[in-house]
Amino acid sequence: MSNDQFLTTRMFFREAVGRAVREEMEADDRVLVLGQDVGAFGGSYREFDGLFKIFGPERMRDTPVAEAAAVGIAAGAAAAGLRPLCVITYMDFLMIGFDALINYAAKLRYKSGGRLSAPLVVKTTAGAQGQGVAHSQCIEAWLISVPGLKVVAPSTPEDAYGLMKSALRSDGPVVYIDHKRLFPAPGNVPVAETVIPFGKAAIRRRGVDLTIVAHSYMVRVALETAGLLEAEDLSCEVVDLRSLAPMDVNTLCRSVERTGRLLTLEEGQVTCGIGTEVATRIFERIGVRPWIRVGALPAPVSSNPVLEAACVPNADRVAQAARTLAAR
Amino acid sequence: MIYQLSVPAAVPGVEEIRILEWHGEPGATFENGDLIVELETHKAVVEVRAGQSGVLRAILADAGDWREIGVRLALFSDSAADDMSAAEGDAGDLVVEFDVT
Amino acid sequence: MSDALLPLRRMMLIRAFEDALAARKDHGFQLLSTGEEAVAVGLSLVLEDGDQLLTGGRSIGPALARGVDPGKLMAELLGRVAGVNRGRAGRGHLSDQESGFFGAHAVVGGNISIAAGVALERKLGGGNGIVAILFGDGASGAGGLYETLNIATLWHLPLLFVCNNNQLSVSTPREASNAAKELRDIGRAFAIPTALVDGLDVWAMAKVAGELVEHVRSGKGPAFLECSSLRLRSHSTTARETRSRDELAQLHKLCPIKLESARLLTEDQITNAGLEEMRADAARQIEDVMAFADASPYPEPEEVLAHVE
Repeated sequence: MSNDQFLTTRMFFREAVGRAVREEMEADDRVLVLGQDVGAFGGSYREFDGLFKIFGPERMRDTPVAEAAAVGIAAGAAAAGLRPLCVITYMDFLMIGFDALINYAAKLRYKSGGRLSAPLVVKTTAGAQGQGVAHSQCIEAWLISVPGLKVVAPSTPEDAYGLMKSALRSDGPVVYIDHKRLFPAPGNVPVAETVIPFGKAAIRRRGVDLTIVAHSYMVRVALETAGLLEAEDLSCEVVDLRSLAPMDVNTLCRSVERTGRLLTLEEGQVTCGIGTEVATRIFERIGVRPWIRVGALPAPVSSNPVLEAACVPNADRVAQAARTLAAR
Repeated sequence: MIYQLSVPAAVPGVEEIRILEWHGEPGATFENGDLIVELETHKAVVEVRAGQSGVLRAILADAGDWREIGVRLALFSDSAADDMSAAEGDAGDLVVEFDVT
Repeated sequence: MSDALLPLRRMMLIRAFEDALAARKDHGFQLLSTGEEAVAVGLSLVLEDGDQLLTGGRSIGPALARGVDPGKLMAELLGRVAGVNRGRAGRGHLSDQESGFFGAHAVVGGNISIAAGVALERKLGGGNGIVAILFGDGASGAGGLYETLNIATLWHLPLLFVCNNNQLSVSTPREASNAAKELRDIGRAFAIPTALVDGLDVWAMAKVAGELVEHVRSGKGPAFLECSSLRLRSHSTTARETRSRDELAQLHKLCPIKLESARLLTEDQITNAGLEEMRADAARQIEDVMAFADASPYPEPEEVLAHVE
């Protein structure tokens, strides 16, 4: 056995995604990518740099601006035996593809009595970064209530790599969610090929006073918050969900049993949000604990920098909520 | 006089860059406007150009290395004869211009 | 039985099947294809084993025409486990890909892009199978049709668009639901072959559909067929009929089964006794179909969580 299993290489988030897609396309010729500007251009976030040269226009397939048809074609191709990765530039635009994703793909195995399935991955990008009310939303909470749909949202390049590989091997459908603000930060990714299974949360920081549960970019905000509160002698455990559906309720329960308090943090709306679901699943199992939820204010996310910053959570807001929670 | 070249805060939100390519080895002379090094962010290449003349004396991060914003990448001096022993301490910032492509 | 009688026999089977279903108290919510049998049968005559057909929610006639086992289909519609999808898909969502019926998706217009995805798999797989997508005039107002026509044309997909224009979208007349003069004009905008055919004439259907199928099978990309047909029942088994008795009586004179029967009689290819025997055959077959379906149980409630993931 080589030491490769312990070696890592530092790379951008997009490179981790691209590596996963390249490896899976090399291993399985049923995998193909379709979406806007995924071909010679290399993807809106350069996540497919170099793949067009390797796999060509048949498997790195540019689509017109037609999200409904793109998801539908990907779903139909999946049902017929391919393993498409359908790229939707902004998560807001995924709404246009909901019929094929939710009414068709997510129900196909069920409605066919197990005779058909749609091993389709929809990769999309959520989050606020100056682009306004219809280019900033985090609507993953809408998705986790759909039976048959898997939803993952990595916060590190390593998880982006490992979860994308799992997604492309899954019998799907899967929605894989990146975040615009995660792209600038590089991270260490194992040199050896690794796969991260769905349904496994990761504890990013140990703490004893309260548990912050977050996913995607908000994991970074949670870690920043934990750093701030350390100086006040308040010790936060940070749990990264990674996989929203299925959800790792065991890890969540163990953490909250240890710390006794729960702070749920998300960039989307708190009403019927991920945090509400997290809290409910935990409390159903271990009983109610003190809980506070933090998310976007109940307003659209403006492109105005002042209003955007006021809407989505930051470490100061989370810290304030944590102090309130700790005092209970 | 000794000058340092540090990772510029060229792109908002970027905390760390990867060195893509140096355009000269230690001993090379740079004139105003010459391309010194290309740095890579998650989506752009930052071309760092000399804003003054000088001699490249030491490269402190190789192509492929990662460095955070503000970290020293290279040392320059006015002439090849300048004594570099003081470089461990403070050095003035090399005047540079950069293009983000 | 000669090939000359095959289309009529198939249309009679569909009619008998749907009538028998509609006569059941437990028929559920169904969209029947009375008056539209020639579209399904004519199209299916020119599709091959390796081809796939997808439809909107008016799926029963097309599924039977494509060769889905009638007993398993009836069981499916009545919610029995012997159904092609264990009784859980129903009319709106049934599929039987081994019979070349890739399935219904009863969100109007929603199955058109799905069909293009199946066609993409065919194209990349390198075989000569094609895909046909059957949708109504009601779907011609939906965006998915236009998005899919565009992509299918750009990618030269082996996809035949078949618009079964039965003149009514629930209560809305065709003229009020689409601004195009003819629905085939939608295909013309993409510079693909189009045709308008009398969808009440099963042989014309087969001939014109066959020409377009040949084009699609040759790898030249999609084609668009408008079939002018009639819906002789109300939209669904629970919807109000919006036409008068007199109007319906006039329309029934154009029933494709009547037209084909009359043509065969005129041309001495069948006798009245022969027609009667054919009807009796269909009725007997449907008795067997019903017996098969009724012999099968409903699923156990515990099955509700099976095949979700």
